[in-house]
Amino acid sequence: MHSTQKSVADSFSDFVESEEKDFTLRDGSRIAVVGGGPAGSFFSYFLLKMAQAIDLELEVDIFEPRSFGYCGPAGCNHCGGIVSESLVQTLAAEGIVLPRSVVQRGVESYVVHMDVGDVTIESPVHERRIAALYRGNGPREGGDSELESFDGYLQNLVTGLGARVVPELITGVEHRDDRPYLKYGDGKGGQYDLVAMAAGVNSNIINMLNELPGDYLPPKTTRGYICEFRSTKEEILRILGRAVHVFLLDIPRFEFAAIIPKGQFVTVVMVGEDLDQELVHAFLNDPVVRRTFPTNATPCVCSCSPLINLGARKRPYGDRVVMVGDSGITRLYKDGIGAAFRTGKAAATSAIFHGVSAGDFEKHFWPTCRNIVNDNRVGKVMFATNAIMKNSRLTRKAMLRMAQKEQEKENARPHMSTLLWNMFTGSAPYVEMFRGTLRPGFIYNLLLSVGAALVPGRKKTAQPRKKAA
Amino acid sequence: MSRKSKRADKAAETLDRITPAFRPVQVEKTAPCQVGCANCGDIRGWIGLVAQRHKTGSSRDQAMAQAWQLIAEVNPFPATLGRICPHPCESDCNRAELDEPLAINAMERFLGDFGIRVELPLPRLRSEESEEWIGVVGAGPSGLSFAYQMARRGYRVTVYDAREKAGGMLRYGVPDYRLPQQVLDAEIQKIVDLGVELRLNTRVGTDISLEELRSRHASLYLGIGAQMGRGLPVPGGDGPSVWTGSDYLARINQGEAVETGARVIVVGGGNSAIDAARCARRGGADVTILYRRSRDEMPAIAHEIEDAIEEGVELILLAAPVSVEREGDGRMTGVQVQRMRLGQPDSSGRRRPEPLAGSEFRLPADTVIAAISQVPVLDGLESLDHDGDWLVADSHGAIDKDTLVGGDAVSPGIAGEAIIQGRHAAESLHARLRGLDPDKASDPVSPPIEPEDILLASKKGCEAVHESRLQGEQRVAAGMGEVAKTITEQQFLAEVERCFSCGSCYGCEQCYMYCTSGCFTKIEEPTPGMYFSLNLDQCKECGKCVEVCPCGFLEISQPSA
Repeated sequence: MHSTQKSVADSFSDFVESEEKDFTLRDGSRIAVVGGGPAGSFFSYFLLKMAQAIDLELEVDIFEPRSFGYCGPAGCNHCGGIVSESLVQTLAAEGIVLPRSVVQRGVESYVVHMDVGDVTIESPVHERRIAALYRGNGPREGGDSELESFDGYLQNLVTGLGARVVPELITGVEHRDDRPYLKYGDGKGGQYDLVAMAAGVNSNIINMLNELPGDYLPPKTTRGYICEFRSTKEEILRILGRAVHVFLLDIPRFEFAAIIPKGQFVTVVMVGEDLDQELVHAFLNDPVVRRTFPTNATPCVCSCSPLINLGARKRPYGDRVVMVGDSGITRLYKDGIGAAFRTGKAAATSAIFHGVSAGDFEKHFWPTCRNIVNDNRVGKVMFATNAIMKNSRLTRKAMLRMAQKEQEKENARPHMSTLLWNMFTGSAPYVEMFRGTLRPGFIYNLLLSVGAALVPGRKKTAQPRKKAA
Repeated sequence: MSRKSKRADKAAETLDRITPAFRPVQVEKTAPCQVGCANCGDIRGWIGLVAQRHKTGSSRDQAMAQAWQLIAEVNPFPATLGRICPHPCESDCNRAELDEPLAINAMERFLGDFGIRVELPLPRLRSEESEEWIGVVGAGPSGLSFAYQMARRGYRVTVYDAREKAGGMLRYGVPDYRLPQQVLDAEIQKIVDLGVELRLNTRVGTDISLEELRSRHASLYLGIGAQMGRGLPVPGGDGPSVWTGSDYLARINQGEAVETGARVIVVGGGNSAIDAARCARRGGADVTILYRRSRDEMPAIAHEIEDAIEEGVELILLAAPVSVEREGDGRMTGVQVQRMRLGQPDSSGRRRPEPLAGSEFRLPADTVIAAISQVPVLDGLESLDHDGDWLVADSHGAIDKDTLVGGDAVSPGIAGEAIIQGRHAAESLHARLRGLDPDKASDPVSPPIEPEDILLASKKGCEAVHESRLQGEQRVAAGMGEVAKTITEQQFLAEVERCFSCGSCYGCEQCYMYCTSGCFTKIEEPTPGMYFSLNLDQCKECGKCVEVCPCGFLEISQPSA
């Protein structure tokens, strides 16, 4: 390290200098974005758009060694592939209109499956839809599909604005001469005026940031499980329709799972603290799951156990360094792409209009993160409550009954439906959902449903109001 | 279908579970450059030493010296072969899928010149001396390769050669504009510096008998080459002004002026024919090459043929001389030529040329050079097993218990092959003399890499380096001056970066970075091919490491049956 060899006088002059250090980006400033997923692309997109607006020439290098044009894990970013309706709309408002080739299927409803029955929840407001997509180029052997990569689409958008994609892996980060220095996979390296970490949590690069100023610690994580099965479009439409299927089942250790239709593939996503092959097996062989699964599905072609961000441990920024997307702060379980969008935009705004010091990011970037963190606290309570309700047959029946009633009646207030919809899609902040549960109507109807569930012999098969597809 | 997906299919079928297990295993593969030719050493290895020097902590000069030594393990002539080899190693390079093959030959030449410039000594294998005194007949590429390999193993070696200087065909067959003699001198000197004794101007059969050599030496290696050019078997073909290619080139390479007159006809399609034609052109003559087959069948190196044409040599294909016309005093006036056509393939697999009746025409000529073929001179060696023209040896190069043979004396080939044969003979002799397992002496074989296993998607195209060359007329004007320049150090350092390191880990760290289960651990002092140790206790079987591996080093492990 440089600092160990410095004299006291040098250190003092450094100190004086640092007081006057210039933390604004200028013409020719070099920005490195580590990771070419949505977080990196959104950050670069806003950075370059805003720079254009104030006539600032920046050099933006996006480091992404993988190609999203590759089928299977090498081109994938490990996620269920759901973009919430609110994000699709927000992107459109920013001028990012997702083409049909990227969006696999407009999802029109959610089906909640429980041992006590199923209920289909239509999108609360009819114009709203959510999108299912592939972040990379789809699973192994997906080469013949018609889909286009979401991440690849965003990357093209950003290179169109002048960013350079460098196909190098970053293998280390150091601090040299007051600037972050990135070490490349080929043994070389480069110095930058600002580094945006957008490497998610599924790469070890985030464990190597100790050399940087600030006291960043990588986020806490848990593991999920994702696997892809190949079937046919017709069969998938017949069995799954245009719906995402979520499961609240009473299997030991089971927490949450969803089955998502994507062209000729179905994606199975499971989340939980204690996931293993045995639990995956138990889930896929559960009778409730079997009747919601394409009969002609081939053995799983692709599977992974990605890490999921459970919340940042320390502040996700420092002098000339900022963490966007999952590397920093993200929404609990849901809407990671939405969080990448918000943190990316906030970081870019701070860098262009305010500065790139830790103080600048604290003032102009952290508030966005803090909102997410606070919302996640509420989310944790909601998920814990959901876990308790799902584990009791009584409350499961009550939830089912309440949602069924809402879906049957034309002008009922969709208290439970909206709650479930938002929890599954991540469309609304957890705080907003929580407020919904405090409404007298919600509590009244829930108590009513619990009461009804206590009365035996009134079992009724679930029938949604009308089929959407 | 690639190795990766093939293995994956297998995993899905044979495991009694819903989700397949994609567990990685590290398997070094043989790169295509190694398959093409094993004479530049571990090509991927020596390129890797330089390309990966930042990761292994070597300085640039250290890395280049290590790379030179790795070549020198098997080939003491990198500067020489870097100039004249037709480089079959480049033809299957996986880089061609993206842009151009690596310029392996140009890089070898650079390293060879570097080894000469900084005076790197050839690497010894043993410090102690052995008792046996080994004799070598012929100081050409195969004899010197054998002598080097024995000397570095601690044997006393003496090399006998009939000529005034060592080098064999490298000196007397290859013109200076392709291979300057001082380059050859420098590389031979390194072998001499190792303790190899040269006895020049000593012809076996005349100056010393085979029996004397046999009694003097524990073992003998015959690298006598194929020194004798075949004459022109047509009427008038045995008179004055008709040269064999080998005689003509030997004269030229000794600096003798050869009076050819203004019109020279060269007969043949091999490298000697092209070399002779280009030398005659440099002497100021109008030169025409007659070849009885088509251009596709010409054994000469393709770019040498093009060079000759650029220098003004005329090429007449599907044509053969039928007689040499002479005046009463024997002076040559011209050659009667017959047109040919290609018939059925012959024993060599090439289509047999057949004369076209009534197609004869006359070409004026002052000199004819017949570069048709060359055979060994077996005078004084008649007692050895031979088929009339060539010496006959077993697969280890042994002709009898104490005599080995290799190079052009067994079958004509490129210099690289002669060097390989010399090395293999030395390895097998050393194994026999020291009581080692002879099979372990030869090159180890690992499975070949399949092109699909190289991840091209994330690679960026960039052109190969090309040696800077004089243009056609400049080349002729430069006489025997070298036509191509060695690439610069900067070019060399850029070119090594283009290597995909097919089938061998180069420390890209992607497996390590993307495995969130910690299966990969960095090795503290990495070397090319060895960067990570693998522990699968925590493996989640997603197979991502295999899929991101850009060089095909990682593959899905097959479940044991």
